[in-house]
Amino acid sequence: MTTLAALTRRPGQLAWFGFLGTGILIGMIAVASVFLRGHGHALNVTREIPWGILISTYVFFVVSSTGLCLVSSLGDVWGFDKFAIIGRRGHLLAILTLVTGFGVMAMELNHPIRMGIYAVISPNLSSPIWWMGALYGIYLILLIGEFTGLMLGFKKMAFTMGLLGFMAAISAHSNLGAVFGLLDARHYWYGSYLPIYFILSALVSGGALTALIVYFNHKARGKALNPTYTEFMLTMGKLQALFLGVLMFFVVWKIIPGLYGQPPEKYEATMALLTGPLAVNFWMFEVALGMVIPFVILINKKTRTPLGVTVAALLSTTGIFFMRYDLVIAGQIVSMRGEAGHAGLLQYFPSLAEMGIVFGAITLCLFLYTLAEKFLPMEGGHRH
Amino acid sequence: MKNKRYAIVLDTEKCLDCKACTVACKAENGVPLGRENYRNWVEEDELRGTYPNLGQSSTPGQCMHCGNAPCKRVCPTGATGASPEGIITVNDKKCIGCKYCMTACPYNARYYSEKLEAVDKCTFCQHRLAQGRLPACVETCPTKVRLFGDINDPESEVSKILAKRRSRVQKAEMGTKPYLFYLI
Amino acid sequence: MENMLSKKLNRRRFIGLSSCALAGVAVGSQVKVLRALAMTGEVANVTAVTEKEVFTSCGMCVNKCGVIARVRDGVIYKLDPNPHFLKSRGMLCARGNSGVQSVYDPDRLKYPMIRVGERGAGQWRRASWDEALDLVAARLNEVADKYTRAGVMFASSEGFQEHFFLTFAECFGSPNTVRHASLCLASNMQGFGATFGSNPTPDVLNADYVIMSGANRSEALITPDSIDMVTGNGGKRKLVYLDPRFTKSAAKADEWYPIAPGSDLAFILAMIHVIVKEGLYNRSFIENRTVGFEALVPHIEPYTPEWAETECEISAENIRRIAREFAAAAPRAVYYQGRRSSFFDNDTQMRRAMAILNVIVGNWDVKGGMVPTQTIALSTHDYIAPWYSRLDAGTATFLSEKDGSWKHFRDRVLEGAPYPVKGMMVYKQNPVMSVPNREKTLKMMAQMDFICTIDVTMSDTAWYSDVVLPEATYLERLDPAHALSGIVPVVTYREPAIEPLFESKPNLWIMQQLAKRLGDEVYESFDFTMEEYLEHQTTRNPAILESLKKTGVYYEWTEPKYGTTAGQRLKTPSGKLEIYSERYAERGLDPLPVYSRVEQVPKGKYRIIVGRHAFFTQGTTQNNPYLNDIMPENTLWLNTREADRLGLKNGSKVRVRSAVGEEVLRLEATEKIRPDCVYMAHGFGAMSQGLSKVYSRGGCDAALIEDGVEPISGNVSMHQTFVEIMPA
Ligand SMILES: Nc1nc2c(c(=O)[nH]1)N[C@H]1C(S)=C(S)[C@@H](COP(=O)(O)OP(=O)(O)OC[C@H]3O[C@@H](n4cnc5c(=O)[nH]c(N)nc54)[C@H](O)[C@@H]3O)O[C@H]1N2
Ligand SMILES: Nc1nc2c(c(=O)[nH]1)N[C@H]1C(S)=C(S)[C@@H](COP(=O)(O)OP(=O)(O)OC[C@H]3O[C@@H](n4cnc5c(=O)[nH]c(N)nc54)[C@H](O)[C@@H]3O)O[C@H]1N2
Ligand code: SF4
Ligand code: SF4
Ligand code: SF4
Ligand code: SF4
Ligand code: SF4
Ligand SMILES: [Mo]
Repeated sequence: MTTLAALTRRPGQLAWFGFLGTGILIGMIAVASVFLRGHGHALNVTREIPWGILISTYVFFVVSSTGLCLVSSLGDVWGFDKFAIIGRRGHLLAILTLVTGFGVMAMELNHPIRMGIYAVISPNLSSPIWWMGALYGIYLILLIGEFTGLMLGFKKMAFTMGLLGFMAAISAHSNLGAVFGLLDARHYWYGSYLPIYFILSALVSGGALTALIVYFNHKARGKALNPTYTEFMLTMGKLQALFLGVLMFFVVWKIIPGLYGQPPEKYEATMALLTGPLAVNFWMFEVALGMVIPFVILINKKTRTPLGVTVAALLSTTGIFFMRYDLVIAGQIVSMRGEAGHAGLLQYFPSLAEMGIVFGAITLCLFLYTLAEKFLPMEGGHRH
Repeated sequence: MKNKRYAIVLDTEKCLDCKACTVACKAENGVPLGRENYRNWVEEDELRGTYPNLGQSSTPGQCMHCGNAPCKRVCPTGATGASPEGIITVNDKKCIGCKYCMTACPYNARYYSEKLEAVDKCTFCQHRLAQGRLPACVETCPTKVRLFGDINDPESEVSKILAKRRSRVQKAEMGTKPYLFYLI
Repeated sequence: MENMLSKKLNRRRFIGLSSCALAGVAVGSQVKVLRALAMTGEVANVTAVTEKEVFTSCGMCVNKCGVIARVRDGVIYKLDPNPHFLKSRGMLCARGNSGVQSVYDPDRLKYPMIRVGERGAGQWRRASWDEALDLVAARLNEVADKYTRAGVMFASSEGFQEHFFLTFAECFGSPNTVRHASLCLASNMQGFGATFGSNPTPDVLNADYVIMSGANRSEALITPDSIDMVTGNGGKRKLVYLDPRFTKSAAKADEWYPIAPGSDLAFILAMIHVIVKEGLYNRSFIENRTVGFEALVPHIEPYTPEWAETECEISAENIRRIAREFAAAAPRAVYYQGRRSSFFDNDTQMRRAMAILNVIVGNWDVKGGMVPTQTIALSTHDYIAPWYSRLDAGTATFLSEKDGSWKHFRDRVLEGAPYPVKGMMVYKQNPVMSVPNREKTLKMMAQMDFICTIDVTMSDTAWYSDVVLPEATYLERLDPAHALSGIVPVVTYREPAIEPLFESKPNLWIMQQLAKRLGDEVYESFDFTMEEYLEHQTTRNPAILESLKKTGVYYEWTEPKYGTTAGQRLKTPSGKLEIYSERYAERGLDPLPVYSRVEQVPKGKYRIIVGRHAFFTQGTTQNNPYLNDIMPENTLWLNTREADRLGLKNGSKVRVRSAVGEEVLRLEATEKIRPDCVYMAHGFGAMSQGLSKVYSRGGCDAALIEDGVEPISGNVSMHQTFVEIMPA
C-alpha cells in the first residue's frame, strides 16, 4: 500500500497527486458555486447558446470512451493480438471517461434525477437524447461487464460483452452525433455527417489516449518500454496517422459544403471557424495541434518513435478537446433571429465555474485512473 | 365539430415597438427579470438606408406553437407536450433542463427559467384563456397588432382576416408549421 | 449601524415579497409570507380575499388609462387594461404594465425620513409620522414667521391628489405654486389658446392627413392619438412627420423630414403662403368664423417656400406639395400641435402659426379636424384665496397664475427679490431632474431653510430634501374622480387595489395631518373623508359615481360630436377664431407670427435636443425594475458620420459639455439623427442613491441644458443649448 511516507519518497508522484488534488478541489468549488448561485449565474450559457463548454466536454469524454472501447476491443474482440496488452487499461479508462462525461453533463442538467424517472415513465422515443441515455446506459453496463471479464480472466464473458459493447459503442456514439445532426434548426450540425464523423474522430481520440496511457504508465513507474509495448506504440502510431489522415479528409469535406454557395447560417458558422471568433481555436488547436503536427510526426519514420507517438497523441488529444468545443459552439453561434451583433454572431465564453468544472472533471478522471493503476492488476488481459 | 386550434395573426405594420407586450407578458406570467428571460419579444428590424433616407420596421414574436414542433420531438421526457388546441406546453416538473428543446427551436422562443428550474416559453396564456381572457400581450397592445383566435372556426376573426389578407409564417422552409401568421 | 442593519433587513424582506407577488403561483406560501410580514409590522394589513378585480386608473403618466387591477391574496398580481376606457382603446403601455413594480419595488419609499447629515449626503433617519409631521409644520411656521407665508413655495405636477396640495398651499397662504406647465406645454396652450380661445383636440382618428412636427406619438404616448395615428381611418391616411431624429414615429410616417431644429415656423409660414397665394383656403369659413385674414395676406408675402427651404432644409417643392395636399384633404386634415412645446424662445408664435394654418383651411369643429376640447363637469371644493402676489409675477406676458414659470421663479428665489422664498414643499414633482440647468436648481435648494418632498420614490429632489414623506402609490389609494378632457371626455377614478404598504399614506391624509397642525382654520378646508369628497364631486350627477363603481369610467357620450360651437362665441376677445390677435398687438407682441431665426449651431458643437422615450415617464420610471430591464442606461445619439469624423467609437464613453454642465455617458453612433444634433433619453444619471438602478448610470440632460425661456408664456426653451463632445 502506498502510504504518505512512501509518497514523499517519490516527489514526482507527490506533485502528480498535488496537481490532481488541486484540480479536484477547484472542480468542487466550481460545482458548489453552481449550486449556491444557480445555473443562470454560474454558467455563461445563454438563451441563444444554451449548450456551452460543459456539453462539449461531455462530448469530449464520451467520444474518448467510445474511442478507447473501439481501439482496445481490437485485441480481445477482434483478435489483433498486439492490442490485447491494452485491453484492461483501455476499458477501464473507457469506463472512467464515460462516467466523468456523465458527471459533467449532470452539471449542465438541472435535474439528472428527474431524467431517470421520466425517461422511464414517459419516454419520448423520438428524442435522440432519450436514445443517447438508453444506449450509453447499455454501453456502460456492457463495458463494465467486459472489463470484469478481462480482470477476472473470464474470456468468454469478456468476448461476448466486448462484442456487444462494441456495437453499443458504435450505436450510442453515432446516436450522439445524431443528437446534433437531427437538429434541422441548426444548419451547421444538421445532416448525416455528424454521426459518421463522431465515430471516426472517436478512433483518433481512442488511439491517442491508448498511446498516452501506455507511455505514461511506464514513465511513472520509471520503467523502459519492453519490445512488445514499443512495437505496440509504433503500430499505434501508424494507425493513428491513418485515422488522422481520414479525419483531415472529413474536416475538409465539412468545410467545403459550408462555403460553397454560401448556404445560410452554415456559411456564417463555417466562417466563424475560419476567420471569426473561433478562428484561433480552429487553426491553432484543431488544425495545427490536433491534426497537422501529429500527422507530420507520425508519417515521418524518424519521428515515429514511442516518444513521438506520445507527443503526437498529447497534441491531438488537446486539439480534439477544442474540436468538440468548436463544434458545439459553432452550431449555435449564428443567431436564430436577427438581433445579434453586426456580424449576426453571438458571443459565448465559458465562465470560471464552467472552466473549473471542466478542469475538475479532467483531474478527477485522471485521479481515478491513477488509483486504479495503483490498486488493480492492470497488466495482462492477454487473450492467451 | 373540429377541435379548436389557436393561432395569432400579427399586423406588424401597426407595431410601435413600445414593448408593452413584453412587459405585460413578464408581469402576467411571472417571468423573472433579466434580459435573457422573456416569452415574447419585439425585434427592431435592420435600419434601411442612410441618413436622411431611412426606414425601419419592427417584428414582435413569441413561441409559434408549431404544428410540427421540433422542441416537442426532441424532448427526452415528454416534458414538452401539446394541448388539444395546439398549444405547445412545458411541464416544468418533468423538465430535466437538458436544453435540447432550446437548440431545436428555430425561433429562439424558449429560455431557461431559474425560477421554475425548467425551460419556459409562451403558453398562449392558457390560464387566461380558461378565465375567458385574451392573452396578456394581445390584450395590452395599443394598436392591437396581434389577433388571437381559433383558426378552425371559419367565423373567428383570425380566420376571417387570413382569408382576406395575404400572410406568411417565419422560417416556413423549416417545416415547423408555425401558428403565428404575419400579414403582408 | 443598527439602523442600517434594519434597513437592509427590510430590503431583503421586501425583495422576497416582490418576487412572491410576481410568482403568482404558490398562493399559499405568498399568504404565509405576507402574514409573516404583517406580524413584524412590515405590511400594514393583509386582506384575505382570494382574487378580486379593482377598477383604477393608471398613474404612471398623464394619460390615466383605465386599469383593472387583479389582486390575489392581497397582492397585486397583474394590471389589465379596462376595456370600458375608450380613450386608450383598451391598452396599457409598457409603463402601465410595469405599475405593479411601483408598489413592490424595494426602492420605493416606505417610511417618513428625516435627514441627519448634510443635505444631499444621503444620511437619513426613519421617523414616525407624528415626528415628521410636527417637524414639517413647525418649520413651515418658522419660515412664514420670518419671511411671510409667501416665503414657502409649493412645487407640484398633475395628479389626482394634487388638488389637495394646491388647496393646502392656498390655505397656508402662499401664491407660489410652481407647476410643470412651464416646462411642458405652456407655450402650446398660449399659442393655440390665443387663436381658438382654448386648446382644441385634433381628431387624429378621422383625419385623412396629419402633419406632426415636434410630436413623437409612437414614443411620447398621448391617448388616443398615439393609437389613432397608426390605426385611424383604416391606416389609409397620410402622415407627414418632421423631427431632427428618426424616431419610432418617423418609422411609421409616410414622409419624414429631418427639419432644422427651431425652423418649424418657417415651414408653416411657407405652407400658409402657398395656401393663401394659390387660394386653397376655405373662403366662407374664413369669412364667417375668423378675424384678421386680410392682415395675413400681406404678412405672408415674404415667406415663400424657396425662402423657407433655406431655413428648414425641406425643399420648396415638397413644401408646396405638402401644402396643396393638406389643403385638399381639409377639413379632414390636422397640423398636430404636439404637447411638450418647451423647444425654443419663438415657441408661442410657432404654435400660433400652427393654429392659423389649421384655421385658414377650415379645420375647426369638424370630423377629422381640430375639435373643441370637451370635458365633464365635476363639483369642486372651494377654499380661501391668498392675497400676496406671485414671486414671478410679471416675468412673462401671459403668466399662468396657477402654474407660474419655473425658470423665472427660480431666478427670483436666487436673487432673493422681490421677496425671499426660504421654504419648499414638493409634491409629485422632481424639479432637480425636470427643470433645465440642474446646478441652478440645486443652488436654489441650497438657500432654502427647509425642504419637504412628498413622493413615492427617493427622487433626486427628495434626496436633497430635509424631510421625505412617503405617499401611497396610485394602486394603494382611493382617489378623487377625475375628468379627462378630449373629443370624447371621460371621468375616471381610483379604487385602492391593496391597502398602502409599509407606512405610506395618501396625500389627502398627509395634508389633513399638516393642516391640523397649522390650526383649525386651515383644517376646516380638509375636514372630510375621501368618500365624502367623491360624493361631493358627483353631487350634480350621482350617475357618475355609480358608473365609476360599475365600470371604472363614466361617459356622457361615446361618439365624437362635431359642430357644437356653431353660432357660439368662442373664448377669444372677438369671439371668433383669431388669425390676427388684437390682444397680442395691445401687449406689444407680434399679432401675426413673425419668423426669427434661432441661434445656429457654432462650429465644433452640437445642439442637444430632448425628447420622450416610450419606456419611461419623464424623469421617473427609469428605476422601475421592468422598465430598467428593457433599457438600463441612456446613450448619447450622434450621427454616424460625425462619430467617425470625431474618431469616437460606438459604445465608448464620451464627455458632453455645455456652458452649464458636463456629463459622461456612452455613445450611440446612429443614422437616426441630424449631423448637427445630439440626443439623450431623459431621467438617467440620477444623483439619488435611493434610485439604485439609475444612480450615476448614464447621463442627465437637465445638467446640460441651459435655461432659456420663451417670453410670452414663460415656458423654458430646452433646445437652445450647444455642447461639445470629447472622449471620456
Ligand atoms: N412614453 C411616454 N409618453 C409620454 C410621456 C413620457 O414621459 N413617456 N410624457 C408625456 C408628457 S408630460 C408630454 S409633455 C408628452 C410629450 O410629447 P411630445 O411633445 O410629442 O414629445 P417630445 O418627445 O418631448 O418631443 C417631440 C419630438 O420633438 C423633436 N424635436 C426637437 N426639436 C425639434 C424641432 O425644432 N422641430 C421639430 N419638428 N421637432 C423637434 C424631438 O426630437 C422629439 O422627438 O408626452 C407625454 N407622453
Ligand atoms: N431635460 C428634460 N426636462 C424636462 C423634460 C424633458 O424631456 N427633458 N420634459 C418636461 C416635461 S414635458 C414635463 S411634463 C416635466 C415633468 O416633470 P415632473 O413634473 O417633475 O415629472 P416627473 O419627472 O414625472 O416626476 C414626477 C415625480 O413624482 C413622483 N410621483 C409619481 N407618482 C407619484 C404619486 O402618486 N405621488 C407622489 N407624491 N409622487 C409621485 C415621481 O417619483 C417623481 O419624482 O418635465 C419637463 N422637464
Ligand atoms: S405592444 Fe403592440 S405595438 Fe407595442 S411592441 Fe408589442 S406588438 Fe408592438
Ligand atoms: S416556436 Fe419553438 S418552442 Fe414554440 S413550438 Fe415551435 S419549436 Fe417549439
Ligand atoms: S429542457 Fe426540459 S423541456 Fe426542454 S427538452 Fe429538455 S426536458 Fe424537455
Ligand atoms: S400569449 Fe401570454 S405567454 Fe404568450 S407571449 Fe403573450 S402574454 Fe406571453
Ligand atoms: S399611457 Fe401608459 S403610463 Fe400613461 S396612463 Fe396609459 S398605460 Fe399608464
Ligand atoms: Mo409634459
